[in-house]
Amino acid sequence: MNMIYIVFIVLLGGALLTFFANRISGLLRDTFFLLTILATTVLFFTKIHIGDTVSFTLAGLNLKWGLDAFGWYFSLIVLGLGTMAAFYALSYMKGKDRLGYFYFSFLISILSMLGILMSHDLVSFFIFWEVMTWSSYLIVIYSGRNVQKNGINYILLSALGAYAMLTAIVMVYANIHTLSISEMINTYPQFSHVQQVWLPVLFLMAFSVKAAMMPLHVWAPGAYSDAPMAYTSVFSGALSKMGIYGMVIVFVSMISYLPDDTLFKETFAWLGAITAILGTLWAIAQDDARKLLAYSSIAQLGYIITGVAVGTDLAMLSALFLAALHALFKGTLFMAVGAIERQTGTVKFTEVTGLIRKMPWTFIASLLAIIALAGIPPLGGFVGKWMLYESLINSNHYILVIAIFFASTAAFLYCYKFLFGFFLGQEEKEWENVKEAPALMVLPMLILAAGTLVLGTFPGILLKPADAAMQTLGYASTEGHLWSMSILFNEWGDQVLLRPLVYAIAGTFLFFLIILTVKGWKNTRYVSTKDISSSGEVPLEYENLTFSVNFYQPFLRAVGPVMKKRMIYYYREFGSGMEALFDYSRRIYNGNGQTYAIYVMIFLVIILLFKNSIFG
Amino acid sequence: MQEILQYTWGALVSFVVAFTVGITYMGLNRKITARVQNRIGPPWYQNFFDVLKLGSKETSIHHGVMQHMGPAFIMVTAVMSLLIIPILNDNRFFPNLNFHGDLVFLLYIMVFGPLGMALGAGQTGNPNSAIGVTRGLSQMVGFEIPWVMALVALMIQYKTTSIVDLMNLQAETGRWLMFTSPFAFLAAVLAMLGMFRYAPFDIVGAPQELASGPMSENGGKYLFVMMSAGSVFAFAKLTLYVDLFMGGANNLIILVVKTFILYLIPMLYGIVSPRYRTEQAIRYFWGWPSLFGLLAILQAVFL
Repeated sequence: MNMIYIVFIVLLGGALLTFFANRISGLLRDTFFLLTILATTVLFFTKIHIGDTVSFTLAGLNLKWGLDAFGWYFSLIVLGLGTMAAFYALSYMKGKDRLGYFYFSFLISILSMLGILMSHDLVSFFIFWEVMTWSSYLIVIYSGRNVQKNGINYILLSALGAYAMLTAIVMVYANIHTLSISEMINTYPQFSHVQQVWLPVLFLMAFSVKAAMMPLHVWAPGAYSDAPMAYTSVFSGALSKMGIYGMVIVFVSMISYLPDDTLFKETFAWLGAITAILGTLWAIAQDDARKLLAYSSIAQLGYIITGVAVGTDLAMLSALFLAALHALFKGTLFMAVGAIERQTGTVKFTEVTGLIRKMPWTFIASLLAIIALAGIPPLGGFVGKWMLYESLINSNHYILVIAIFFASTAAFLYCYKFLFGFFLGQEEKEWENVKEAPALMVLPMLILAAGTLVLGTFPGILLKPADAAMQTLGYASTEGHLWSMSILFNEWGDQVLLRPLVYAIAGTFLFFLIILTVKGWKNTRYVSTKDISSSGEVPLEYENLTFSVNFYQPFLRAVGPVMKKRMIYYYREFGSGMEALFDYSRRIYNGNGQTYAIYVMIFLVIILLFKNSIFG
Repeated sequence: MQEILQYTWGALVSFVVAFTVGITYMGLNRKITARVQNRIGPPWYQNFFDVLKLGSKETSIHHGVMQHMGPAFIMVTAVMSLLIIPILNDNRFFPNLNFHGDLVFLLYIMVFGPLGMALGAGQTGNPNSAIGVTRGLSQMVGFEIPWVMALVALMIQYKTTSIVDLMNLQAETGRWLMFTSPFAFLAAVLAMLGMFRYAPFDIVGAPQELASGPMSENGGKYLFVMMSAGSVFAFAKLTLYVDLFMGGANNLIILVVKTFILYLIPMLYGIVSPRYRTEQAIRYFWGWPSLFGLLAILQAVFL
């Protein structure tokens, strides 16, 4: 039996076993859950090779599954993050109810993502896409909060995307009578021009919903923050990347054949940039850490979309690199929020402060992730951002560079808010007895955060599979002329030699740290954060010195006009407009038998009058 | 080995030069401000005494690890910027990493310090620090826009992201970029007002209101490191402007003269200005300075 079948059977069987084991004992359920995900990961990376395919016939349709380098790159994200999140989930979900349901949906969503990456025909692609939507929807409504609002938003927009995709699939089938994706790509240049335009538009609509691109992002803040954090890390880190996966394929294999492809590319590049800017601004305004990270995810995916849409070698490489990196750091951050939620019971910046001495490991993981998010050297985020800037400048997108730069500078604001709000600031009595999260939660965070550190120094680890993926898509190999095994230990474009820079960073930092600490550390004693002096006055114990309400008020005042209207407002307006329209039709069907009798009369009169022209 | 020694030596020399010049400028700033306000003011070398005094102090309390690291972060930024900004046209006397100077990298390095320092200030728990930090970061987002626009305009117009290439270009043609790309220069200089945080953009550390803001809980050696980092950073930024727009300098004396002329702009602008609120400052940078930046880009693209 082919290994591809076995992986899917293991996942599906494991999910079912986990679900039913829940009735027997918790330990058995946890064991099955962990074993399933571990077995899948091990089998996938040892037994399935790039180029493997299977095909079979189901209900008269030829279905084909297989793995190429491009899918492999994304499955690295899915399974890597999925495994870490699974370990984390065991500890995070402990003591919650309906765990069988949660673990089942978790495993099924991993299964569906792998299925999407391995589908070589449109039918299985669509089915797996729907399974992905449904399994994640089940987890979004798991908590039971805001189901009417966030759950509905998510499922409605996903359905919109799914219908768009279904229409596109039907169009393809009507044209070429086959459902194979490679056939579709090969025959695409022979389609009529109208279809050539509509096909990518419909597909991109479906993918943009999952990638939470504005204006189709409205589901994301609610859905990301309502799902349990153990799953949200996968949701934002891996599941949204499925949208990017599809977008890349559409842009490379369809839009580049269009005669007016630049219009498409510019539009999407700008939509990505606007998503990045507005996502960042809304992230700054949030008080709920989950919402902040959700908007930040939207913004980060905006950069990736811009990279994909610009589509030069370097831009695509940076988009793929950032996609993997976003999984690492956003996974870490959502897990950190989950840890704080579990230990303190709240995720509001205005409520929790000063956890740095209580949860030091969570802080270190968050710090690394935040530095990677902000794109500060020497962590991995900088490499991706740098490639993006260079590619935008080289491809003459000047205003776009400034937009992206604005978004990533403004991102410092919410980065600082995250770190300050939770970890720094006044240490309050209320949180005196908070303990560090269990090791099973801290370790996955630290591993993922260490990943960003490693990738900053050795980006070649990730650039190599990314390069292989791009070659599958038809790009020339970027190895050699765009990157060498590692940026830090080689020259980059003959412009900057990073190695001495890194040594210099490390050297200067250590030197001044030593000046400040070695002499200072032993002689100084720690004093509480109440023991500060302000103009000679020492604040008393009961005085509240926490600064967290209206944190960025001046900034938000400055950007106020941009943030006056929210996209959801327009959707609501549209919704109520439609309702009014439907209400209008109630004047026709008003429930009065007499009116209906008149309708019948009028109908008969019309038929009699035009009898000859209709039946003649 | 030889190379590493040479790098280290170059780094050391440039640091000493930057430190001396930077501290002197701050002393001169105090003196000139005083003379404008019809006071006598401290002697120009007063800041050397201040820095030495702070450096010799012992600290007896601390608020945690991040507070220790904050000043080190800002120092790293200052030194890193100094290392990749070419100091003179001729590299022989300052054999640094500066011949690899890259503008994008520099942009990122320059915003790293404030964030690191903000973390340090955050741990002290002093509300004034945190308020100052939020204002500082917001203002930074403000002036980064015209600044990046100016740099992108230069990158487009001369098709390079390397500082050294821009300097060589000016040396070859003999024309300063402040004349060939005047709008970029204007945008960059207006952004510089925000970078130096003198009035009217001094709300970050507003002395009468926030007790010097982010650094309010730091004294002794911490303040020593912060002050020296500030002066080194100031010198590095001025040198960058000279390199980009004023043709660089062939020797130290010319460099000092050029940087001082540039330094007079934020200083004199500040002396006669009241203070902007944060949102007013941000709006200011997104007004005329950004318009000049846009004009610079248009000029670069179409001319």
